[in-house]
Order: sequence, then C-alpha cells, then structure tokens
Amino acid sequence: MKTMPWSAAILGIIIACAPAAAFAEGTLPLKHPHITMDKKTLQEGAEVFVNICMGCHSAKFMTYGDLMHYPEIGMTRKQVDAIRGSKPLIDGMTTALTAADAKMSFGKVPPDLSVITLSRRGPDYVYSILTGFKHDPSGRIPDGHYNAYFPGNNIAMPDPLAWFNHDPKDTKKIEEQARSVSSFLAFIAEPHQIKRRLLGRYVIAFLVLLTVVLWLLKREVWKDIEH
Amino acid sequence: MIERMLNTPLAQWIDERSGVVGMIRKHLIEYPTPKNLNYMWNFGSLAMLVLALQILSGIFLAMFYKPSAMVTEGGYTMAFDSVQRIMRDVDYGWLIRYIHAVGASAFFFLIYMHFARGLYYGSYKKPRELLWIVGVIILLTMQATAFFGYLLPWGQMSYWGATVITNLFGSVPIVGHFILELLRGGFSISDPTLNRFFSLHYLFPMILVAIVVFHLHALHVVHSNNPTGVEPSEKGVVPFHPYYTVKDLFGVGVFLIAFCYFVFFNPTGWGFMLEPDNFSPASSFTTPAHIAPLWYLTPWYSILRAFPDKLVGIIAMALSMLLLFFIPWLDRGRVRSARYRPMYRQMVILFFVSVLVLGYCGHVELTQTLRLIVRIATAVYFGFFLFLPFVTKHEKTRPLPQDV
Amino acid sequence: MSEPTDHKRRNFLWGLASGLGAAGVAGMAVPFVKSMLPAADTLAASTTEYDVSTVVPGQLVVIAWQGIPVFVVHRTEKMLEHLDGHYFRLKDPESHADPSNGHVVEATWMKTKEQRISRAIKPQYLVTNAHCTHLGCIPLFKPSAGQAEWGDTVPTWWPGGFHCPCHGSLYDLAGRVFDGSPAPYNLYLVPYKYTAETKILIG
Repeated sequence: MKTMPWSAAILGIIIACAPAAAFAEGTLPLKHPHITMDKKTLQEGAEVFVNICMGCHSAKFMTYGDLMHYPEIGMTRKQVDAIRGSKPLIDGMTTALTAADAKMSFGKVPPDLSVITLSRRGPDYVYSILTGFKHDPSGRIPDGHYNAYFPGNNIAMPDPLAWFNHDPKDTKKIEEQARSVSSFLAFIAEPHQIKRRLLGRYVIAFLVLLTVVLWLLKREVWKDIEH
Repeated sequence: MIERMLNTPLAQWIDERSGVVGMIRKHLIEYPTPKNLNYMWNFGSLAMLVLALQILSGIFLAMFYKPSAMVTEGGYTMAFDSVQRIMRDVDYGWLIRYIHAVGASAFFFLIYMHFARGLYYGSYKKPRELLWIVGVIILLTMQATAFFGYLLPWGQMSYWGATVITNLFGSVPIVGHFILELLRGGFSISDPTLNRFFSLHYLFPMILVAIVVFHLHALHVVHSNNPTGVEPSEKGVVPFHPYYTVKDLFGVGVFLIAFCYFVFFNPTGWGFMLEPDNFSPASSFTTPAHIAPLWYLTPWYSILRAFPDKLVGIIAMALSMLLLFFIPWLDRGRVRSARYRPMYRQMVILFFVSVLVLGYCGHVELTQTLRLIVRIATAVYFGFFLFLPFVTKHEKTRPLPQDV
Repeated sequence: MSEPTDHKRRNFLWGLASGLGAAGVAGMAVPFVKSMLPAADTLAASTTEYDVSTVVPGQLVVIAWQGIPVFVVHRTEKMLEHLDGHYFRLKDPESHADPSNGHVVEATWMKTKEQRISRAIKPQYLVTNAHCTHLGCIPLFKPSAGQAEWGDTVPTWWPGGFHCPCHGSLYDLAGRVFDGSPAPYNLYLVPYKYTAETKILIG
C-alpha cells in the first residue's frame, strides 16, 4: 500500500488543477442566478425564447413537439399550437430571419441556441450577458452593444430584454425573464439531464453496494495468504 | 463452481478439440502471480475493461452516427446533427455517448498510471523489454484512434484540431505533403477526411485488441513484475484465481464508481472531456480563440510548442515518444524497483512531474512565465532520458529483500 | 494463517458478489438494447395529421404516413352512388378478408353495412393505403364511370375507381377489388381517426 499515497497525490493534483484550468482568463466573474428546471420556469423561459429570441435565433434541435413530449416542460397541445402556428410538430424551432439578412443588419449570423449553454460558460453566462448591457465608460462602443460580460465587450446582439437604462421598477421582471430563458436554454442543451442525474444516483448507490461486497470478498479470500 | 463448470462433459468436449479449458486453467486460474502486488497493478485489467466498454459503446454509436460533412440548416452538418440526434432522440443515446466520451479520457488516465507503474518498478527491464515496447505501441495506437475519433462530432475543436495536427504531419520534409493529402483526401479538412477518419476510427480499436492480446501473451511468458523487483520464489506466488480475480474485481468496483460519477454527474468533465468549443459547429471561417488537444495529448503538444522552430518542435515531439521505446536499454542499472534505487527514484518522480507540468501548460494560454516553465519542463523531460544511462550505470542501490 | 477458513462466509460473499454482478451486467445491457428501438424523432413522425377539407370534391390526394403513400379521396354524392350496383363483381364486397400480412381491409369502426360499403369513417372522405394489394404499385385514379374518359383500359361496366397499370387490377371508388384482378384484397386500410371536423390523424 506504499504507493497509494503516490497515486492519490497524483490524482489529487490533477483534480485540483481541473476547475482552475477550466476558468476562462481575464473576464468579469459571472452573475449567479438561481437556475431551476421546474415546469413554470421552463414554460416561461420557452415563452421568452419564442417571443423574443426567436426573432433572430433558432434552436433547431428542439422541436415544437418536444415542448409537449418532454414532461419537464410539459406544455399542452393548445399551448404548442399557439406557438407553432402552421409549422408541423416535428419541425425544429427555427427563426424566420435569414442568415443573409442577419449579416446585413447585425454583421454576424446569430448562432443557434440549442446547445449555447454548453458551448459557452453555462446558463450563468447567458444570464450575465442578458443583464450585462451598460454604458461604455470609454464611449467607443454604442449603448445597447456594450456588454460587461462579453469577451471584448462589443456584442453584435442588441440588448434583447432592454436591460440598458430600464426603469428600476422593471428590474425584477427583466431579471426573471433572463433567469427563466437561461434555465430553458440550459434544459434544451441537454433535455435528459434530470433523468440522467436521477439514474446516476441509483447507479452509484448500486456500485457502492457492489464494491463493498467485493471488498469484503477480497479481504476474506486474502486471509489465506500472509501479506 | 468454476471448477465444476470446467469439468462438465460439454467443457471436456470443447477442450479436446481446442484446448480452451486447459488455457483457462493455465492463464486465468493457476497462473502464478507474485503475492505482493499493490493496487498499481490493477490498471492493466482496468484498461482492458475500458477498451471493451469503448468498443461496445462505439459500435452502438455507429448505428446512429452519420459521417458526413454535408451542410444542414443553420451552418451545421449531418455529422453534428446525428450526434445531437443521439443525445436527444435515441433512447439512452445520451448515456452511450457520455460513456464513450468519458471512457476515452478514462482509458488514457488508466494507461498513464499503468505506464507510471512500469517506469517506477522497472517492469520494462529484462526479460520484459518486449512487453514494454508493445506497450508503447499500444499508446501510439490509442493516440491515433483518439485523433481520428475526435474529428467525428465535427465541432470547432474537431475541425481545427484536425487541421493543426494534419498540417504537422504535412511539415515533415519530403514525404509530408503526400501524407497530408492521403490523410485529408482534399485541400482541407473536409467531407472525404471525415469519412475516412470514421473508417479508421472503427479499424484501429480492432488493431488495438490484437496488440493487447499479444501484450497479454508476452506477459504470461515472462510473468508479472512486483513492487520489490525481485523474482519471487515458489512461496512468493499465488494462483491468479481467486486472489487476483477478486482483487481486480474490487478494483473494477472502485473504478466504476469514479467512472459513473463522471458519466452521470459531470460528463463534460469540467470542460476537459467534452470541450465547450466543440458544441459549436465547425466553421472554416473562424478559428477558436484557443486551440488545444484534449488533456491526454497536452504533454506532447506542449513539447511541440516549446520550440520556436516548427520543424524542431515536430522532431522534439516525435522524439519525446520514440525515446520511450529505448528505456529498457537507456537504463543500465541492475536493480528493478525504484524502491531500492534512491537516485533513479528521484529522477523518475521528476519525470512524472515534468509530464504533469507539460500537460497543464499544453492546455492554457502561454504567458511569458509559462513559456519559461514549459522550456524547463521539456528540459527535465528529455533530461530524464539523457541522464539515465549515466546515473544508472553507477548508482548506489539499497539492499534488496530475499523474496517478495 | 491464524483462523481456519470460514467457507460459509466465503461462499456467501462469492454468491452475493456474483448475484449483484450479474444484476449489474443485465442492468447495463438494458439501455444498449433500448437504444435500438425506434428513436423519438422516428416515433414523432409515426403519425401524420391532415386537413381533408383541403381536398376538392372529386379529387384524389396522395399524402405520406410513415413513408407509405396514402390515398385521400373527396367523394361526391354521385361517386358514392356508384358504390352500388356491382356487388357480385367484387371479390370481397364487405371487407371480411384477413390478409395476414400485417395489413387490414376491415376496421373496428366498420359497424354498419353502409360503412362496409363506403369503407370510410365519414363517407365523403376515403382514406386508404395507396399500394395495390397485388405487388405494391400505385393504382391510377379513374373516378368517372364508363369508358368515355378511359377507353378500353377499363371494362364497359366501369363504375369509377382505381386501375393498377402494372398488372391490370381494378378497384371501385371504395377501394374494393373486382373479380378477375390479380390483386387478392381490397385496398388496405390505414389506422386513422378524426380529431376535428375535417382533421384526421393517421397512425
């Protein structure tokens, strides 16, 4: 067992470095909203997504039917019909804005948001961006495009929730919109995550039980040997 | 109970015509193993388990994955879309995908620990030199397999990582351009590249299995080393079954707990197993701010970047792996285990640390300080090989035990 | 070497470990096997919705369901009248046959004789599988009676219906197959129901 400390030390170093190395360099620490995936939040987030984000962004890997079929969102047929209009249920949620028009208006094609929380720094990042529009202290970047959390601060997306200079009595409302849409995006990035974590608990519990039995067996069998 | 199964008429019938029962007895049951092996000896069997898991999950992924870079709506491709389909629509597709992604990292972690055991305890010394050489070949085959596999999701990292590495091969003098064209099948990483990488990613694990079988065969000829490095007497060995079957199974249990923690609760591995940039579809027009290979290839990547001259860097990187083949001959000491070799012990620990430092540096943005650290670590890395013949010829060793 | 081997405890532990291990392996096999079942997007496409009011009276529309072509015919009063008068020329006028090949010609909603004749939930809209029951070609729509439009590709007593160009099978406007046709069965039915006044859900 003399090498256990060694392997443990090596493992420890690796695991300790991991989160540190994963931290992006030189940007503002993110805001940390309470991301939840209850039905109410997800449905509200879906509404925000459809009414505001889908003006420019698609989420093509999420179908209208999925809004009904995933029990975590659990929209009714009526709600989905109201959202999808004449688009079939199996269609992905895509924007009407063409790439060419987007390039002309914004200079950039708005990315698809299906897995945005995984391809950036999580739902906290999305929330921070949505509530991060402020006035550029140096005055170079126009209002509505200066974002404190976006790398380089110059974001092509114009303040979608009208955060900049909003009326203070609307703060709670906009924050809730940002929170619910960030939660919605976090959910659709990986719709099976709740099931995954639940199954994981059972699997690890089983494995712990199995490993304990195997440990007892090993110890029992090795009683024969002087070691 | 196993004895009863092996003595049934059916088993006898099969044995008369193939010798299988005899082989099972000789290699899995009676096979003499030193009784003092510690848990560093579990990593070989764990690596085999993960190889099996990768092949299983890989075959199932291949039922749904589409190796086509044909463009689909939104700047995506059929390949990327098929991975999303696996994650969303295929029953338990997400689980199979995560097993495969986490499994790749697990495979390399286990193999690096397995290598560390070999280096520390002198498992590469006579008569186990061939075993060691085959092991290095296994590592290289694994790296090739991982390289081919990483292109398949066709994310930003997939595309640009493949671009950088294939360009590396292209920089080799004389034959470089030919190799580059062979690999790419076109003028850039494109659909033909993806298709052939898929084929090769399916093929290489099969080659790996064959090499691993040979690795095991060679092991059973020379038998396992042990932490003292001293050949055991008859009293120092035990039959493989039940002692090491039971210990290996316990090791499997512990490993699976850690493995399943990642699969079920942290499948992206803090961004080290499934990188954020790879969730963006590949675009030939924008390069990610920060291209780096996955963590298990970062030490070699660091060495490549340590040298300002591209060709020197490539040669250094190749040398860093090729030198591994020569360790059995660079080490001229008589004693096997680092337990009894104080000088070698320090050298090899320094070597491990240099690999860890190189690995860390390969993943982050290089600052001036880090660049200096990389160069020092590279010097230590190569220094290990350089000084080995001299230090080991004249090293003072501690007295060895009589038996295990 | 101090205590004698406790075989009972040892065997118990072996048995327990093996049992748990076997359960674990079986449990692990489940998701892999399940992954091979039709995926969610395949199942979502397993039903097709259609608004039959988009079909003009007298018109045939062919739509897709699970990759299969489906006939939707908006039958006029006249066409419905033409369903009578050739009872004894039909192989299976009341759709009693059991093709035993996964397809059906008879539906649970066929309760009255009228329904067996019209072969539709709402008589003005016929919904059937478009494959000829002989070898699977798609029959041509020849709705008008007589030979005026169709020449002698149809018999003189032709009441209107479908004519398969491959081997000459003839069906009436309810998809019922005529004697003398190589096709053995009436046009197969697809499972459908009305979800609204003019909206059907197939599958």
